[in-house]
Amino acid sequence: MICSSDIIYMDYAATTPVDDRVARLMCECMTRDGVFANPASRSHQLGRDAQGRVEMARHEIARLLGASHTEIIWTSGATESDNLALKGVAHSLREQGRHLITSRTEHKAVLDTARQLEREGFEVSLLVPADQGRVTAEQIAAELRDDTILVSIMHANNETGVVSDIAAIGRLCRERGVLFHVDAAQSAGKLPIDVGEMCIDLLSVSGHKIYGPKGIGALYVRSCPATHLEPLIHGGGHERGMRSGTLPTHQIVGMGEAFRLAGQQMESEKHKLTGLRDRFWNGISRLGGVLLNGHRDARIPGILNVSIEGVEGESLLFALRELAVSSGSACTSASREASYVLRALGRSDQLAQSSIRFSIGRYTSEDEIDRAVAIVAKQVHRLRGLAPKTPVTSGREAG
Amino acid sequence: MDSLDYSQQVRDRFDRPANAGRLLGPVISGVAGEEDLGTRIEFDFRLRSGVVEESAFRVYGCPHAIAAASWVAETARGRRLDDTSWMDPLKLAGMLDVPEHKLGVLLVVQDALEAAAGKCDESEDR
Repeated sequence: MICSSDIIYMDYAATTPVDDRVARLMCECMTRDGVFANPASRSHQLGRDAQGRVEMARHEIARLLGASHTEIIWTSGATESDNLALKGVAHSLREQGRHLITSRTEHKAVLDTARQLEREGFEVSLLVPADQGRVTAEQIAAELRDDTILVSIMHANNETGVVSDIAAIGRLCRERGVLFHVDAAQSAGKLPIDVGEMCIDLLSVSGHKIYGPKGIGALYVRSCPATHLEPLIHGGGHERGMRSGTLPTHQIVGMGEAFRLAGQQMESEKHKLTGLRDRFWNGISRLGGVLLNGHRDARIPGILNVSIEGVEGESLLFALRELAVSSGSACTSASREASYVLRALGRSDQLAQSSIRFSIGRYTSEDEIDRAVAIVAKQVHRLRGLAPKTPVTSGREAG
Repeated sequence: MDSLDYSQQVRDRFDRPANAGRLLGPVISGVAGEEDLGTRIEFDFRLRSGVVEESAFRVYGCPHAIAAASWVAETARGRRLDDTSWMDPLKLAGMLDVPEHKLGVLLVVQDALEAAAGKCDESEDR
């Protein structure tokens, strides 16, 4: 339970609080009695101590991904990792080809970067997920061309939690000699990932989605054979020249500890969150006219995205202000547009606008779930009672 | 103003919308908007000698739509329905702190009121 307010926090897919154990380690790396020195200052012991902490954290990230620590590049977050992966590959391989493949339901960090590459003369194929939000290897195969240089598909969708068959897509790309990038910001630490078995060449992760700090992320870059990236940031040659800039030791140490804890607790948290999510779904689906968005089974346990018939989206969000939830993804909720992810899944504008993403996590309790169900039921009944008609079907469907 | 940062009056009317519901028996109704487009307003008015004696509204829409419909239903009481000049969307926007991009919502509320007013000729007291 998050104790700072009366609001029930159900927005873990947007960000998570820093785990107390993580925060303690971070604090050891900031003040004068701690490991505060520049990890690039190898001329003295304090710098070498900081470097040691950075490398320990790098090992933790690598361990959770089935990678070598030499394949992990620190970034400021998954958005920068996505930018580095797409632009880095495109700029490096522009003489070999100018075609990229991704999907319409990717995070804006990938979509906006792909659009920028289009402005630079690259061609981008945008797939509409075929299987209730899942992108399939067959879809990728149909789009691959001789000049395709990169495929970028997210592991778990940030709005719906739907998980695509990354291993199948990875095998296809490897067979065809095309680089494969995966945005794993929502899945790292929640689902098993093995970059070797899944034939992944580049993979983006973030610290703050799994109880680490904001402002830190990493990009896995396959080293054998070497994946060549053109850097975005120059100056100092840090991170093997791929990402210059002084390393933020405290954030890196925090992300490393968060990944270590996530690896330890992955199975138990998956079991707990699945139970809580199902309890919540069973509670709210009794209202009728509550539609599950995305694949029923292939999804991470912490996200439940639903559209609620007979209520207008903005009123629903305001009526649920005792809950910290998202309408669509947090990154797009400032705009008035219906969720582009749900529109790509075939939902009408009206149902896409009346969608809510409930996402739960490490500190969610059964009591919070039961209170949240009661709040949703009360407010949906109230808003439907105000409406001219209540066009509610009794079905529960996945879309 | 943030999209969920509503004025106190909008908050009050959203949480406790006076006159919400439906009037039974002979009434004059006015309807405007479409749920598919995000806003639908319905008013019921019961008249005595052309003057609104009872009123009710139903709304599918954002908190501003709910607040505006509630205000119109309340303010219409005691007024002649065939004169809707008191309903000025711009003044109402100022009163409720409705942001500029939401003015269309208030026009739907006005349309629903005027749809009812247009039926005043069809019948005397209802």
